[in-house]
Amino acid sequence: MGGRYGAFTFCDRITEYVPARRARATFAVPPTLSQFSPCLVAEATGQLAAWVSMAHIGFRGRPVAALARDVRMLGDVHPGDTLTLEVDVEECDDDAVFYQGRARVGDREAVQLIDCLGPMLPQDDYDSADDLAHQFALLCGEGAAPLRFGGVGVHAMDVVSSTDDARSARLHVPVDAPYFVDHFPRRPVFPATLLLDHAMRVAADLVGTTDARPRRVSRVHNVKMRDFIRPGEDVELQVSRVEPGDDDTRVKLMAKIGERTVATAQFVFVRAAVEVA
Amino acid sequence: MEFTKQEIDAIFPKVAEVIADALGCDVEDVKLNSSLIEDLDAESIDFLDLVFRLERAFKVKIPRGKIVEDARGDLAEADFEQKGVVTEKGLQRLREFLSEVPAERIKTPLKAADIPRLFTPETFCKVVLRAQKSAPVA
Repeated sequence: MGGRYGAFTFCDRITEYVPARRARATFAVPPTLSQFSPCLVAEATGQLAAWVSMAHIGFRGRPVAALARDVRMLGDVHPGDTLTLEVDVEECDDDAVFYQGRARVGDREAVQLIDCLGPMLPQDDYDSADDLAHQFALLCGEGAAPLRFGGVGVHAMDVVSSTDDARSARLHVPVDAPYFVDHFPRRPVFPATLLLDHAMRVAADLVGTTDARPRRVSRVHNVKMRDFIRPGEDVELQVSRVEPGDDDTRVKLMAKIGERTVATAQFVFVRAAVEVA
Repeated sequence: MEFTKQEIDAIFPKVAEVIADALGCDVEDVKLNSSLIEDLDAESIDFLDLVFRLERAFKVKIPRGKIVEDARGDLAEADFEQKGVVTEKGLQRLREFLSEVPAERIKTPLKAADIPRLFTPETFCKVVLRAQKSAPVA
């Protein structure tokens, strides 16, 4: 379990690849996990775009998550499912990658990524270009050994303040965690998708305590990662309602480290479907 | 003047919409001469985003990260900046290129890294107009 290209890499095999344009890949979610968050599905899709864009520029640079206009969470992905990931890269060069993506299980759509932008950073600062090129060749060929992802563990989080309309929680990013082996070997960075995953829980808690019917996140939009989060940092996740609504509930996120805003986004909650026996 | 007021005014409403969408602010808050960073809280990543959005909105190809390079024009880099600070020649060049920015904002000492702080919505109107004139995309 875990290890390099297992701890936080979500692509088993690239099954279709049009250089600089398009790719399709598969990822088997290990059945031993207790859950697989939609944020990790988004991560998997974004990583496929990263492979395409890095390969296009000879692995000189690597993109990092920065902007996503819309992440649509359409359905749950369960341990044991096999994801099909697809990305359409609209532009990529040494500066940035701009792409659309989606993930599905069979014919069922799970996540859509709309208008995502990742600026390229110098590869040598974060990872080994040669090593990545070798792994990419493996993914495009026979594929990597599946079922290596062992989860991300539990992160300590304390509620700082709570009202009917706002909540604040402090997330303690661990100094060391298995996923830093992959994200990234030479300069560990707390993944943006894990930040969103935790913020989503705080937001769900806020919405859940005041709404009679259960709601689920249907969209995360205007995601903007403004700065890196390093191992060992404490991030304050401030969520607040932005407007009341019958059909959806919107919650704004501002993630801060001290006075520094590191991320902003907005979650849209819709009423969960009522299951009929 | 590189572009007429009419040319700028003609595309400003659409540019303002794109900026408001990218920065998550009200379109009414986007004034032609607002500082994107100081008045509208834009950050460097927003400029990259803006360029992508403007390309799509206007169906043009905009070279990324080239505003500062274009501003320097034919000045040698050493003539434009020294030790990260824009030279007097460089300031003069900036006053011409960023004619929409009040001249008193372009003053020494100006770090080259702070040039984006000068950018306004009109700067991006001009970026679009330049792209439209150089290589329109069908």
